[in-house]
Amino acid sequence: MKKTVIPIGPYHPLQEEPEFFMLTVEGETVVDVDVQVGYNHRGIEKLSELKTFDQSTFVIERICGICSTSHPFAYTRAVEDICDIEAPMRAKYIRTIIAEGERMHSHLLWLGLAGHFLGYNTVYMWVWKLREEILDIMEIISGNRNNYAMFKPGGVRRDINPDDIPLVMKKLDKILPTLKMLYKAVRDDPVLHARTKGVGVLSREAALDFSALGPTSRASGVARDVRKDTVYGAYHEMDWEMIVTKNGDVYDKVAVRILEMLESIKILKYCFLHLPDGEIDAHIKNIPPGEGIGTHEAPRGETFHYVRSDGGNGPVRHKVRAPTFMNLPTYKATIKGAKIADASIILAAIDPCYCCTERMAVSDTKGERLFDGRELIRLSQQETLKWKQKLGAVEPPLEKLTRGTL
Amino acid sequence: MRLPKIRELLEAVKALAVGPYTSKFPKKPHTPYPSFRGQPKFNEDYCVGCLACEQVCPAQAIDHTDTVKGGRAVRTINHYTDTCIFCGECEAACIAEHKGIKLSRDWDLAFFDRKKSYESIERELVLCEVCGGVIGAKKHILWITNKIGELTFSNPTLYQTRLRELGLIDNNLLEIKKDGGRDDRLKILCARCRRQTTVGG
Amino acid sequence: MIKRKEVLADLQTRFKKEITDIFDKSPHRVYIDIPPSALVPMSRYIFQDLGARFNIASGVDTRSHIEILYHFTIEDINLLISLRVRLNRQKPVIASLTTVCEAANWIEREIHELLGVDFTGHPDLRRLLLSDQWPDKVYPLRRDYKEWDKGAVRDRGVK
Repeated sequence: MKKTVIPIGPYHPLQEEPEFFMLTVEGETVVDVDVQVGYNHRGIEKLSELKTFDQSTFVIERICGICSTSHPFAYTRAVEDICDIEAPMRAKYIRTIIAEGERMHSHLLWLGLAGHFLGYNTVYMWVWKLREEILDIMEIISGNRNNYAMFKPGGVRRDINPDDIPLVMKKLDKILPTLKMLYKAVRDDPVLHARTKGVGVLSREAALDFSALGPTSRASGVARDVRKDTVYGAYHEMDWEMIVTKNGDVYDKVAVRILEMLESIKILKYCFLHLPDGEIDAHIKNIPPGEGIGTHEAPRGETFHYVRSDGGNGPVRHKVRAPTFMNLPTYKATIKGAKIADASIILAAIDPCYCCTERMAVSDTKGERLFDGRELIRLSQQETLKWKQKLGAVEPPLEKLTRGTL
Repeated sequence: MRLPKIRELLEAVKALAVGPYTSKFPKKPHTPYPSFRGQPKFNEDYCVGCLACEQVCPAQAIDHTDTVKGGRAVRTINHYTDTCIFCGECEAACIAEHKGIKLSRDWDLAFFDRKKSYESIERELVLCEVCGGVIGAKKHILWITNKIGELTFSNPTLYQTRLRELGLIDNNLLEIKKDGGRDDRLKILCARCRRQTTVGG
Repeated sequence: MIKRKEVLADLQTRFKKEITDIFDKSPHRVYIDIPPSALVPMSRYIFQDLGARFNIASGVDTRSHIEILYHFTIEDINLLISLRVRLNRQKPVIASLTTVCEAANWIEREIHELLGVDFTGHPDLRRLLLSDQWPDKVYPLRRDYKEWDKGAVRDRGVK
């Protein structure tokens, strides 16, 4: 059968962010995928060389909106690695609090979007309402919902007021029952099992070959987590588990993320209750010549920063590697052989930083019908409806009221 | 299949009863938490005009111009709200007990004309009496004299500014000594003129 | 579980001819200098036999030569090994690492377009990040990079 590929975009009126995937299909099956990135390239590595070490933290924070803590965390660890200095204990606890708060709101955002792609719009609305509680917690602690401006080479910039902690603990206690309900709902729902089990499988060998990171690799049985492998922050002060499953399909990725959220709440509560006293800053005066490497477990995997200094005011070379850079090429292994209706959920399953599954283009081999991102999401939702009717699942009445537009 | 639905229906009823999470802005005003980082604002009483905030700003959202206005030398410091990233570095670097520029809780900052999107403050300048160049803001020099106490008397620029502010000396005394030579050392001088009069050449 | 000292001793005996310098920076960081010809056999050993993970490669333009660092992580003992190769600045050429692991595919495309290094044996060396309008042979991360875009805006943008 002849295969034709017709590109759409990337600057198309219907798309929201420019990045796109060209899927080549034969009938209903996807045969090949070509990932094209680079439309958001801003030259941050070169920009970081113009700033001082302290100012560079703010540029680095704005690499991504959702993983806004993981980049400064890795960068400050890299600068501290050059001078072999450690931040004081209270600063480590505060850094852990901010990092786990960000993990929660990022996983909740992804859960909502996954529900939207599968057709469960109620889940979308409810999970994002839950996410507002976390964003309020971050606003109380750091002053902003997203770019927290708390990290500094040597410690943190601002302290946590002990009067705020009872309010924060109350909000955390409000979230926990709803999360547990979501976990049980996902575990028991047969339609979700039919849509996500066995779909988009990333085998263990492929995960090792592509060096996949984060929940993408933990769902395939590769037990990697920077928080357990490296001693940093306050992660070794308390008991928590690393979640590893072995099938590697989309269902496992959903399960890994929900269970990670429950562990995050455990870590957050421990940190708030056992915050030690002391300094929050190590007052680094001078960065000697040398090079340093810093890592951190972002919600999507391991972030890696490499900083080289020559004794001056700012970095001479700053290399940034986000975890999605290693996870995106795994599409070559997961999407071949899948149906078109499953394409949107497979592309969303690795949680690309700021979900870029809106920028999809599909071409038919005969060149007759062309789908864009919205059509693919609609196809996925129709597939869920078909499964619901087949399994006789009763649709809850609220589904009709809250089904919003795409 | 019935039990899971009850669990979710309970949540649905709770959601209906409580209502949406969003606040009712603009019908009711919305005040953020006390630690919210809003728009930075200059403080007339505390700011000394030292430009530390301009040096540390990561987004280069603060700049200044030194001009002569109505016979006085004035430094105008501008803070551009549309470039500001609300990080709080200016407040952390401010030498006047972190009160010269302070982050307020204003967040409703939309405007129509970008040319008007800045706040400014004016500080009086002290000029060199030999070359006319800018030494610094007067309040900044007085801040230095307060900080170093009696060591002020080691530097003619510092103690003359301080005594002139206290009203203990006036201009006439210095008019007599205008000879372009050694007596220039007792005037208010910028660094280059001070070196020239002391070391010569 | 192997220990850090054993790993380093093993590497030093196995690749004695190739290793020019080892810098033991801290318990978790090691920097090893090797010539470009030794890259593929040594990375194959580290990736497959020691079970390390390929992290990333970072290219630096020092004014005298171009350096590429390949970072590998051995998770069980929390050791990060960085292999440093130095290339000639006029004509930087090195063998591609895609024969060892698939993870090196994208980063070699990025270093190729940002620093101008040629990777022999790479299956698909086209542009990854820069736009199609970017001129050829202009490498942004080099120290002698000059602004080529006359229409670029460099101030607040308020006329």
